[in-house]
Amino acid sequence: MAQMSLATDSPSSVHSSSSDDFAAFLDGTLDGNSSSDREEEIENDAESARVKRHKVESIKEIEASTSKGPVQKNLVVAEESLKVDICTHPGSFGNMCICCGQKLDGESGVTFGYIHKGLRLHDQEISRLRNTDMKDLLCHKKLYLVLDLDHTLLNSTLLMDLNSEEVHLNTQTDSLKDVSKGSLFKLEYMHMMTKLRPFVRTFLKEASKMFEMYIYTMGDRPYALEMAKLLDPGGEYFTSKVISRDDGTQKHQKGLDVLLGQESAVLILDDTENAWMKHKDNLILMERYHFFASSCRQFGFNCKSLAESKSDESEADGALAKILKVLKRVHHTFFDEHQEDLVDRDVRQVLKTIRSEVLSGCVLVFSRIVHSALPALQKMAEQLGAICLTELDPSVTHVVATDVGTEKSRWAVKEHKFLVHPRWIEATNYFWQKQPEEDFFVKKKE
Amino acid sequence: MFFHIVLERNMQLHPRYFGRNLRDNLVSKLMKDVEGTCSGRHGFVVAVTGIENVGKGLIRDGTGFVTFPVKYQCVVFRPFKGEILEAVVTMVNKMGFFAEAGPVQIFVSNHLIPDDMEFQSGDIPNYTTSDGSVKIQKDSEVRLKIIGTRVDATEIFCIGTIKDDFLGVINDPTAI
Ligand SMILES: [Mg+2]
Ligand SMILES: [Zn+2]
Repeated sequence: MAQMSLATDSPSSVHSSSSDDFAAFLDGTLDGNSSSDREEEIENDAESARVKRHKVESIKEIEASTSKGPVQKNLVVAEESLKVDICTHPGSFGNMCICCGQKLDGESGVTFGYIHKGLRLHDQEISRLRNTDMKDLLCHKKLYLVLDLDHTLLNSTLLMDLNSEEVHLNTQTDSLKDVSKGSLFKLEYMHMMTKLRPFVRTFLKEASKMFEMYIYTMGDRPYALEMAKLLDPGGEYFTSKVISRDDGTQKHQKGLDVLLGQESAVLILDDTENAWMKHKDNLILMERYHFFASSCRQFGFNCKSLAESKSDESEADGALAKILKVLKRVHHTFFDEHQEDLVDRDVRQVLKTIRSEVLSGCVLVFSRIVHSALPALQKMAEQLGAICLTELDPSVTHVVATDVGTEKSRWAVKEHKFLVHPRWIEATNYFWQKQPEEDFFVKKKE
Repeated sequence: MFFHIVLERNMQLHPRYFGRNLRDNLVSKLMKDVEGTCSGRHGFVVAVTGIENVGKGLIRDGTGFVTFPVKYQCVVFRPFKGEILEAVVTMVNKMGFFAEAGPVQIFVSNHLIPDDMEFQSGDIPNYTTSDGSVKIQKDSEVRLKIIGTRVDATEIFCIGTIKDDFLGVINDPTAI
């Protein structure tokens, strides 16, 4: 197909003199805003009156020999420059002010490419929209929920990374014709396989009653949109609410600045805490969903993947089902306490309170925990409402250790206190519920 | 606004297309190449309507391809500031709404929607008057006024307003 390749390197069109005349006619006569002389007019307010009078006069001289048109055009411009000065240019579309249509420099404001290509808004306009939106949302008894994709709602792998114990999946993928029924998809053109986390469809349906939901992923836009299609084939939840790394304002960070919602009403579900440095108080940290072996390896786990062992997370009692309960509690608490005005409430405060009730009444002592891990564990336990002591005393309820042989561990056994592994705190932290201690008892090392 | 104008383009053709159908081949390739494209100068080329003149071909050294300068008539579409356009709403959100008139993308911000129309979120986001008589939602047809245009190499952007007399919804998709 020689001529196909030719089409791309064929020379660009040549403008005949007639088309040049046409363009000049358009620019000069009809489209007053594209010529640069208009911008000159807007500058120098102090001088402008004098300059304009001068211009009008000089044009009047010419006018004698030409038509009346130019004078009228200049007068219109003078009037409009007044109007333009008042506009605060709250945002732009295609680098034109969304209010007055004036051409603007592209660089100021925040881009909202995930809503529409070419759209930018300035801080004041963003906060204005946030305020009006907040009232509307609260009327509908809703909050915002930002959802991460990878390891939170689903797990994806490159097809070439499937190992010999996982290739059986190739014959088990669900049809792409009606994705609403399936959970394992092969996206040949992206060279990928994606597994949706168990319970995700129920989760989204239930959560959409309480939240206006966004997807926010570190993946690129094509990937994000493809995943949104799998999760939301009917376009009920995420239409123009899919934020990808192409939309962020900071590298390797996710920020709520691209969200048209007030931070005091936003909850975030993500498995990566470090992506949300500025918004940790909004975050509900998710236990990672590793379905594929490549995903386990990526995070340094040597255990078998769910796919390899032909199993999966529980549908009824997995991470998403547990977190949905937390979301319901937060939502309920936010809206059902009638003490203060709704607008003044802060979901971060609600989250903090609920978190601090999880381990309330527990008194912990840590025994020989790796030095580097201790501060994080301790902080986690305290946020969950536990009291952490450094020395044993009768009030202690749990000793946290990895070894039964330490002095404190032996004390715990003798005094019939719980002797638990640090994973007990981590699991409690993930599920916002005190986990049964017996699942995390410290065992003798062989 | 639509214009009927004459443009010129250098067309390259493989020798296999020479012969008595040369002219037809040139025309069909021309239509394939230019219809639907956008030029910053002239706007959007809607349709080729005729050939004015095909100049003498020039053989390209070493390839055997021949370049023909072709003058053709075509209908182009280019919006102008102040122009009234009819457009179809493609997306409604709290910032305003986006609409399309053919290839032209128009944004009408909520600053330029009449104050008595309020945004309603929900399954079908829309702007509605307080008495509910007028509603703008996806697929509504609206009449709007262009207040700013930018014609790129490949795209045309416009800022529109419906905050003026005789502007707004001209057909409601729900009322059929
Ligand atoms: Mg993730
Ligand atoms: Zn402006």
